[in-house]
Amino acid sequence: MAPVNLYPDLASNVPTTLLVVDDDEINRLILGNIFASQYTIQEASNGREGLEKILAGPERLCAVLLDVMMPEMDGIQVLRHLKEADVLRRLPVFLITAEASGSVMKEAYELGVMDVISKPVIPYVVQRRVQSVIELYQARRRLSHVVEIQQSELLEKAQKIVELNMGMIEALSAAIEFRNGESGEHVHRIHDITEFLLTNTPLGEGLTPDEIGQISLAAIMHDVGKIAIPDAILNKPGKLTPEEFEIMKTHTIQGAHLLEKIPQLRESGSYHYACDIARHHHERWDGRGYPDGLKGDEISIWAQVVSLADVYDALSCKRVYKDAFPRQKVLDMIREGQCGAFNPQLLECFFSVEERLHRLYEPK
Amino acid sequence: MDTRKNERLIAAGIDTASALERMMGNEMLLERFLKRFLDDPNFETLKRAIAENDQDAALTASHTLKGLCGNLSMTVLFDLFTRQVAAFRAGDWAGAAAMMEDISAAYDQVTAAVREVFAQ
Repeated sequence: MAPVNLYPDLASNVPTTLLVVDDDEINRLILGNIFASQYTIQEASNGREGLEKILAGPERLCAVLLDVMMPEMDGIQVLRHLKEADVLRRLPVFLITAEASGSVMKEAYELGVMDVISKPVIPYVVQRRVQSVIELYQARRRLSHVVEIQQSELLEKAQKIVELNMGMIEALSAAIEFRNGESGEHVHRIHDITEFLLTNTPLGEGLTPDEIGQISLAAIMHDVGKIAIPDAILNKPGKLTPEEFEIMKTHTIQGAHLLEKIPQLRESGSYHYACDIARHHHERWDGRGYPDGLKGDEISIWAQVVSLADVYDALSCKRVYKDAFPRQKVLDMIREGQCGAFNPQLLECFFSVEERLHRLYEPK
Repeated sequence: MDTRKNERLIAAGIDTASALERMMGNEMLLERFLKRFLDDPNFETLKRAIAENDQDAALTASHTLKGLCGNLSMTVLFDLFTRQVAAFRAGDWAGAAAMMEDISAAYDQVTAAVREVFAQ
């Protein structure tokens, strides 16, 4: 990505044209002469012409100097129109008047005029008063621009942090998978299968896209407890003895405990899903799973989904203790309950989209 | 501007220093405006409006002259027109009309000095 220019030519976004609206040519020339060295001067010789010039492009103007007594449309009427068009918040308008009578001044200020300056003007006074307001508006405009840029930078950084978190969780989980000779692809696919089933089937009903994202991230961590299982058991090619299997089963509880010990994870939306999934992804619908022997709906839908995703992926790939099975055999084994007992609705949803899930295993 | 000309204008009721300051020190601009004042039709308009009892026209002309004299720092005239405009606004037509004598005298002084200084 190209380096971000922090403050791209801010100056070009700041208007420097000053509009003088007065029916008297001498007044226009005097005011124009005062500001000619700092701003581009535009003139209008009555209220209507002035209003048209302002409304044609208020963003081009840095300020308006407005006479009160004018033919066609007087200064107060111009102000009323400008207020209606909501221009006065962004464009400072100064009333330049010989008759600063109480009622005119009051109405002008109520309409949102920036300042009332009396005629005949004294150059250094009008210069100072107009210029400081213009500078204030320009600074405000620059600042809001800077804030906008910084906001988008912050969003970009937040997105990078999310990606980094995800990357680290994946790396940790993949490192654990590597210990029993599997590629990091397994955790990646568990993530994708979980996300796909929750997004594209009724299984995800009631879950927001954010929650599905958190669950899918949590799914990656389902087997972190295996880090506590000795190599001899984890990588044993043959069948485990009953004692070994008891130790193997503890990876669920160990995983939940491990996750509970990561304080930063507690603040993440994924935390509760991750603990639940790590502990319960070996429970069975018929209550004969481990470690808690939960039955039916006692098992959360996300733990059920990850459980099925784990089985599906294990059957579809080569493992230390088995070869990859052909697709039809995988489906038959799952349907016949050879690899666990699942919620019938979960199986129905799974089979309805398995065609698309299978693409994850096609050679790239 | 040389001192003699300057003093002549000051004596006629023009605060040249303040007028020049308003022009950001631009003497050419001041000269242009002073000469233009001689050709300005508003004083004739004002006299005619008062003679014809046309109050709206009189107020407009007096107001314009007030602005003009203010910009050119014709202090005596500016003060007179300011009072006249106020009188018109207050509905004191007779009082406003009665000021014409003083106004005409001050106007003649100023225009004579400007004509003389700029040799017109």
